Amino acid sequence: MEYKVEAHRIMSISLGKIYNSRVQRGGIKLHKNLLVSLVLRSARQVYLSDYYAGVCLNAQHIEAKEWELMDADREKLIPASERHVGAEDGRASRLQEKDGDSLDPSDVAVTSPVSPAISETQCGSSDCETDADAAVTEGDSRQPPKDHACSHRKRSAEETGVSETPVKRTKVTPNAIVANNEIEEGEEMDTSNVSNLITIFGSGFSGLLSKDSAKSESETDDSDSGSGQICCEQMLKNLNPWTTAIVAF
Amino acid sequence: AAKNGAGCSNSCLFQRHGFNFHSHPNSADVISTVEFSQSGEFLATGDKGGRVVIFQREPQGEYNVYSTFQSHDPEFDYLKSLEIEEKINKIRWLPQLHSALFLLTTNDKTIKLWKVSERDKQPEGYNLKDEEGRVKDISKITSLQVPVLRPMDLLVEASPRRVFSNAHAYHINSISINSDCETYLSADDLRINLWNLSITDRSFNIVDLKPDNMEDLTEVITVAEFHPHHCHLLAFSSSTGTTRLCDMRSRALCDQHAKLFEEAVDPASRSFFSELISSVSDVKFSHSGRYLLTRDYLSAKVWDLNMEKKPVETYQVHDYLRSKLCTLYESDCIFDKFECAWNGTDSVIMTGAYNNFFRMFDRASRRDVTLEASREVCKRRAVLRPRRVCIGRKRRESDICVDSLDFRKKVLHTAWHPTDNIIAIAARNNLYIFQDRHSPSGHHGVHRIEQETAPQLEDTPPQ
Repeated sequence: MEYKVEAHRIMSISLGKIYNSRVQRGGIKLHKNLLVSLVLRSARQVYLSDYYAGVCLNAQHIEAKEWELMDADREKLIPASERHVGAEDGRASRLQEKDGDSLDPSDVAVTSPVSPAISETQCGSSDCETDADAAVTEGDSRQPPKDHACSHRKRSAEETGVSETPVKRTKVTPNAIVANNEIEEGEEMDTSNVSNLITIFGSGFSGLLSKDSAKSESETDDSDSGSGQICCEQMLKNLNPWTTAIVAF
Repeated sequence: AAKNGAGCSNSCLFQRHGFNFHSHPNSADVISTVEFSQSGEFLATGDKGGRVVIFQREPQGEYNVYSTFQSHDPEFDYLKSLEIEEKINKIRWLPQLHSALFLLTTNDKTIKLWKVSERDKQPEGYNLKDEEGRVKDISKITSLQVPVLRPMDLLVEASPRRVFSNAHAYHINSISINSDCETYLSADDLRINLWNLSITDRSFNIVDLKPDNMEDLTEVITVAEFHPHHCHLLAFSSSTGTTRLCDMRSRALCDQHAKLFEEAVDPASRSFFSELISSVSDVKFSHSGRYLLTRDYLSAKVWDLNMEKKPVETYQVHDYLRSKLCTLYESDCIFDKFECAWNGTDSVIMTGAYNNFFRMFDRASRRDVTLEASREVCKRRAVLRPRRVCIGRKRRESDICVDSLDFRKKVLHTAWHPTDNIIAIAARNNLYIFQDRHSPSGHHGVHRIEQETAPQLEDTPPQ
């Protein structure tokens, strides 16, 4: 689990840097932001892969198969998958704010759908059984399929078995873990916030640069960058645990 | 005098000329680039405040301030609501043809060609204006005179002869003058443009890495340089750790490289920061044109132009930092861009590190030395002691532990005289010039004039 903590920390540091770069004198430095986004991506990979490994042990081998399937038919699956993953179960919800109340243990926070296969495998373990099969599809409207494809193209350079779906972040909260630990809850919240922020950035490099018109020469997806920006701003306002991290930088 | 660290052919012992620009360091005085002229007679520094200082080598061997001028001023791009920093990113000298000096300076967006010339005579005896320059009353002029040139105190003037602007959407990181001395390149994060030194209103794009969709961006250009002899060859490095050699003869747009220099990364050593530390921060052709020197965060590599698969030599500059990458990432140190340099004979390479350390590696003997550029350590004309960084406990008194390193003190910019064993090291707002006591050049031996105080920038006229 140490990896998870480390990865989480690196992600928060990275996001802080990206945030600060927007107010830096001289304009956004493309090189530095690209490097930070690479680190963010690496950390996210590890964080998510570690999470999957830790929580849904039983589903591992099923997942592996699904990943392969994904890998092979990436381009084809993506547009279809986004449509298939509907709100299968109403219990799933995205955690937007830290309200301090205890979470519904069975909440499944999913920030963006990837494929029907993946969300099913999430519930392979007995702990997850009671949790929703569902993936929340709030992300759907915000993320046109194009982003997904773009993310994949970006990541084609480094492929690992677990990290095939960059925009997917499904977190299952087993009863036992959440019930015990409020700090754990806090972390869950943080992670979802991270995930939300990551969603913005996961939608492509332009998500980072949506504020900078110098980079938006080729931005074809105004809605994406716009929504990314809005989401980012919302998130930044609501992030209690995050303000510390960001202010620190 | 005999102890050999760097293994320079004569000696590794250096002496110091310290130039302390200001006693109260101001961030505008932070030196951002250092460059010797092609003959080595002049040395130029640029700083964060947009100022350029040119030093001239005296017959006795010491460098003194020759000229100072404001090259770039802060600008504001109203369309993009962006401030454009005046910091001088690079300076490159043109070969000196006559008494005037020409150099290119650049900030993030604009390149300028400066002419620096001496004036020691001025015309006197104008007909239409008086000595103060006021226009005379024409009706009062009764006779004509021919103005004559009379000697005056030496004045060194710098004037901008060309301004090359509006060609870069991204931040300029490099400029390099072609061996033909008529053209030069300028590179930003995504594009490289080719200019003619005489023409400011147009340039040719020769490399374009900008993807159609910025979301697909995977790499940026970090440094670009022309080959020292072949006017058709250029090299550029990227954030992914690759260096490309391009041939301008084969196609007009050099997106396709002629050669790609890349070393496979050991998958076992991968970490969160692997990609980051492989980003190339500097590229330099050897004087011979046969080799390329690249610098990434932890190492310096020498590549043979004929072998793309891996470098011929790899030098670990500060591998002890490998376990501290996360901390360095937090502090932004991991983004520091260290430059590197060849000596005149391509036998020694040099690069900077933290704690005001800089390192020299002798390629033949594989010996290396770590030296420190610091006011406390160097007394004028003192011989520098080699330093050592230890990971565990100190074995010697002069050792320094990794944890004691001062990461705010970094030697990013270094330059080596084109022929002699003279190096210029920039440490924040200080410029250190070290000369080899035993250099065969004959310019500096024991007969050196002592300098009492470090010259202050504004006060010192050319001597």
